[in-house]
Amino acid sequence: MLVEIIEETKGKDGRRILKVAKENLIELMTELKKQGFNHLSLITGVDRKDKLEVVYHLHNFESKKYIVVKTETLDERVPSVSGLWSSANWDEREQYDMMGIVFEGHPNLKRMFLPENWVGHPLRKNYDLKKVQYINMDEEGNDYATFDPGDGW
Amino acid sequence: MKTGDVGLLTTTLDKALEWGRSNSLWPLTFGLACCAIEMMAIQASNLDISRFGSEIFRNSPRQSDLMIVSGTVTKKMAPRLRRIYDEMPYPKYVIAMGVCVIQGGPYNQGYSVVLGVDKVVPVDVYVPGCPPTPEALTHGIITLQKKIRNETDR
Amino acid sequence: MMQDQKSKSNPDEWVELNMGPQHPSTHGVLRLKLKLDGEIVKDVEPIIGYLHRNAEKICELDYYCDAMMYFDRMDYVAAMNMEVGYLEAAEKLLGIPPPERAQWIRVVMAELSRIAAHLVWAGAYGLDLGMLTPFFYCFVEREKILDIFVEVSGSRQQVNYMSIGGVYQDFNDKIIAKIEAFLDQFPGKLEDIYKAFINNDIFISRTKGIGILEPEVAIDYGVTGPMLRASGIPYDIRKEEPYLVYDKINFDIPISHKKDNLARFIVRFEEMRQSVKIVKQAIKQIPEGPYFNPKSKKSLMIRLRGEGEYYARTESPKGEFGVYLVGDGGVKPYRIHVRSPSFKNLSVLPVLARDTMVADMVAISGTIDLVFGEVDR
Repeated sequence: MLVEIIEETKGKDGRRILKVAKENLIELMTELKKQGFNHLSLITGVDRKDKLEVVYHLHNFESKKYIVVKTETLDERVPSVSGLWSSANWDEREQYDMMGIVFEGHPNLKRMFLPENWVGHPLRKNYDLKKVQYINMDEEGNDYATFDPGDGW
Repeated sequence: MKTGDVGLLTTTLDKALEWGRSNSLWPLTFGLACCAIEMMAIQASNLDISRFGSEIFRNSPRQSDLMIVSGTVTKKMAPRLRRIYDEMPYPKYVIAMGVCVIQGGPYNQGYSVVLGVDKVVPVDVYVPGCPPTPEALTHGIITLQKKIRNETDR
Repeated sequence: MMQDQKSKSNPDEWVELNMGPQHPSTHGVLRLKLKLDGEIVKDVEPIIGYLHRNAEKICELDYYCDAMMYFDRMDYVAAMNMEVGYLEAAEKLLGIPPPERAQWIRVVMAELSRIAAHLVWAGAYGLDLGMLTPFFYCFVEREKILDIFVEVSGSRQQVNYMSIGGVYQDFNDKIIAKIEAFLDQFPGKLEDIYKAFINNDIFISRTKGIGILEPEVAIDYGVTGPMLRASGIPYDIRKEEPYLVYDKINFDIPISHKKDNLARFIVRFEEMRQSVKIVKQAIKQIPEGPYFNPKSKKSLMIRLRGEGEYYARTESPKGEFGVYLVGDGGVKPYRIHVRSPSFKNLSVLPVLARDTMVADMVAISGTIDLVFGEVDR
């Protein structure tokens, strides 16, 4: 392969893991899609306290191969692969909501489960569960989040 | 004429109205999560609820008089729950089914669940269980019927 | 006439309608924002998050064996399949394999749970299209399966039956006799339910030729399960990467090439018949032996430590269910992520429902088989 890979290992479950820098991510993904990996099964983010790690699981239907691609970021920005596979659209919105990773180039990056003005990203390790937020609805049916217990539930 | 002289007529009329209301409670379909499947099982033919008067589950809040809240109430869903309760005409009753609506259930350590639905609407009968068996929910409905007829202890 | 309406519509004249979270035919708390041109749907935007119960965050606060109760409540109609899915990842990460007898018992329970989940779907789909009779027939059969679950584990729906290293209680002769009595009379009743649907002209005209899903679009959006098998692609994790003891059992995978609502309906019914075949074979082959791994007794289970990461996929009634576990050497999980099939299946609804009528959109969203404990987690 012509793309520069940092490391290639084999995980505990027997699958190939490729680690790549985030600048070469789109190049590697385009190359893998040309080789027939047309099913993007899963996008996950893991909070490793000093950096954020993003994991992609790819699957090939004809040759039944399964491959894992990992990348890391220090400033919370990662290029988006939603131009290559349409299933990345909702997965990236969910990881933006829960982990705070901003995917550059996504057509519609909004929060998925929580209202738009919720403060903080819940699945980070430094999220404080003691700061309680409340949600209410305005006249048009859109939700908003506040810190005031008298204003919502 | 003092109003106390017609007391016998109004108390008998009250008793007749209460008898009629308690034996024909029509619930509203408000299933949110796992407890909703037990509510569907109580509509089916093995454990029939229409023998107690709840012949049919209405879909619109303006045509029903009992709301069975079954399933976890999240903070995002709570304003809609309050609005639907406000749209029901009087007299109306609420049954809280399952531990998630009594005090948050197994999810009360989190950030997005309302800890008990009695912060949103006033509740008449609480039915515990995760999920409560259909027999427990039937016991809850019979308790509500006794409460309407003023036959319970409290 | 439909062609004229497609070409003449002006986006400024479309009406925006809200099918709110409380609606009799959205199978849970789904909110749809529709843009309508007369009766034709031009755009659908699903808004989810009304049942977001933060299960992934709470599982990080407790031990590995406590996470079982949150997985029970994700796909709440098929709880045994969710437990199998979590244990495939947790047992490999912690290094505690289950014995043979426990694996055969798990296969029997998972297939019975698959039949129960498809019966709930069939009853609710009939209610969507206005048919009341199949709802009662399906739930009578489901009560017999829940009776078996009560005998085995003590609870009807959210069973906490499997644990790390085996199962909680053993099978005895009474349970096996109940399962065999159920299997003797179920195929005849299943044919009755099937005929109640197929001989109905209104049902056929609301499902045949409606909601065509091309296989390339399905693969692009990550759709798996009976929706993908009804578009012609034979993908089933029980045959691709067999887990438990599925490679020792003889069964087939139903597929169809018609791609519409009726094809998805027929594929799910055929899966129920195949599940009956699996349970009949498995009941006769359960070996003697321990049902619990002696290395992990209940008092020591809270001290198990996990290091590294593991991803395991299993076949739930809705599709490919994956659990991604990361451990950092402690007694609590570091990160749990769930790849839920209903989440991916829902994302293809805007493509399927474009340029159809509102009543057709309701019929299409019924065949996707959504369960919101899994979509919102």
